[in-house]
Amino acid sequence: MLPLPAGGAPHLFVLMVIAALLGGLSAIERKGAFQVMLSRPIVLAPLLGWAMGDAQGGLVLGIPLELLFLGGVNLGGSLPDNESLLAGALTAMVVPAGLATRTGVDGPLAALGLALLLPLALFGRRLDRASEERNTQLLEEALSRAARGDPSAARVNLRGLLLPFGAAAGICALGVLASPLVALARLNCGALALAALEGSWHVVWAVAAACAVRAIRDPRAPALAAICAVTVVAITLAFRGLR
Amino acid sequence: MGALGRVFLRSMFLQAAWNPRGMQNLGFADAISPALAELYPDPVERAKAVARHLEFFNCHPYLAAAILGGAVRLEERVANGEAPPQIVSSFKSALGPPFAALGDGFFWLALRPVAALAAAATQPFLGMGCVLVFLVLYNAVHLPVRLWLFATGYLRAEGVVDAVARAHMASGTPFLKACGAALAGAVAARGILHAGIPGRPFAALLVASMIVLAWATVPRLGATRAVYIALGVGLVVGARFL
Repeated sequence: MLPLPAGGAPHLFVLMVIAALLGGLSAIERKGAFQVMLSRPIVLAPLLGWAMGDAQGGLVLGIPLELLFLGGVNLGGSLPDNESLLAGALTAMVVPAGLATRTGVDGPLAALGLALLLPLALFGRRLDRASEERNTQLLEEALSRAARGDPSAARVNLRGLLLPFGAAAGICALGVLASPLVALARLNCGALALAALEGSWHVVWAVAAACAVRAIRDPRAPALAAICAVTVVAITLAFRGLR
Repeated sequence: MGALGRVFLRSMFLQAAWNPRGMQNLGFADAISPALAELYPDPVERAKAVARHLEFFNCHPYLAAAILGGAVRLEERVANGEAPPQIVSSFKSALGPPFAALGDGFFWLALRPVAALAAAATQPFLGMGCVLVFLVLYNAVHLPVRLWLFATGYLRAEGVVDAVARAHMASGTPFLKACGAALAGAVAARGILHAGIPGRPFAALLVASMIVLAWATVPRLGATRAVYIALGVGLVVGARFL
């Protein structure tokens, strides 16, 4: 019997719908509409987590993901890794798994999920490229409609949102569908495996912090960051020690 | 809502059908359509105007609002027969690249990372509230600037270049980046302390050295490989954590 969130299979189906809807909307918001940053991992993961019943669990995933992909920017035609797709799918998979195991999203579960889904960031970038290539067809349609004297030729613009929505919605729904397997893996971890996975999550955090320093493209950044890090560690240790 | 309001609203979908050939052209033509509908009552003339706006266009999605506003003003002149249609095209192609560079440097490379780092650094104290820190810091700048750019573009047309230059957007960037670097340091400290407390100095040292190592190697490895290596290293040494 696979571990499911309280409410069983019907509830899992509801979670799939929620993840598909929010994941799909985030794919649109990321580039095609508004760009008020609702699709950044630090917003999307806690938001989707909240909608599925564990906002805190979403935040556990969202912050390191945000830091890892902080430096990725869409400059002209060059595309960054798709951090939103990864954040959406990871939250969709790990939050229900945490509900099923009743552990919430802890280090081991997060590390397990990230190891499984990390390639989605690169895959999402390919998907973005493909959907942009496909938008050329929309352009051709608009051009021929305008040539025929159709004044509303440019309205095809919004149809460019359909493919990103659909692809991200499907992938996030699959994430929920895979969650019982991840929950099962987490429940079968012994003490040693849990400690090892916990360690993995700490080192992922370390890489995320390093990426965050790299994201500030300024020659003074490494020195400033180092000074600030040492100061914060020193002050904390002076006040409370390692206890 | 007036035509200008609809143009601004549609400018939010500038990149909905971003394509390699014309980049933001479809979004631009769609956004300016409500204004063209008022200026060119004859559908054939209007379709011609829309077709003109299907030419190549690319800019930063926020800064493009200024060009869109200016283009509406210039289209008014064209419709009144005061200027030839080419004036709109030259305006768009002249302002696109410099405004793109300005927007990329300020919004993508400074404001967004700094707002996100402020949220990550305050998360231990604010919990879920840190999400609001990010959204409010970012959009309290983004949305008013976008609206101001659109309004100034429409009111001043070519004069928008002066107005944007006098706003000194780029001059805040070095200060923002310094804040970002300090916040990134605080976030790194948090990762170190989280691993080290309670009573695991070995783990804290390990995380600290991993941060330095990752900082040195991430540009060559790329994020994906770096994270997989991190997961592996963590697994090996993690068994000693408890």
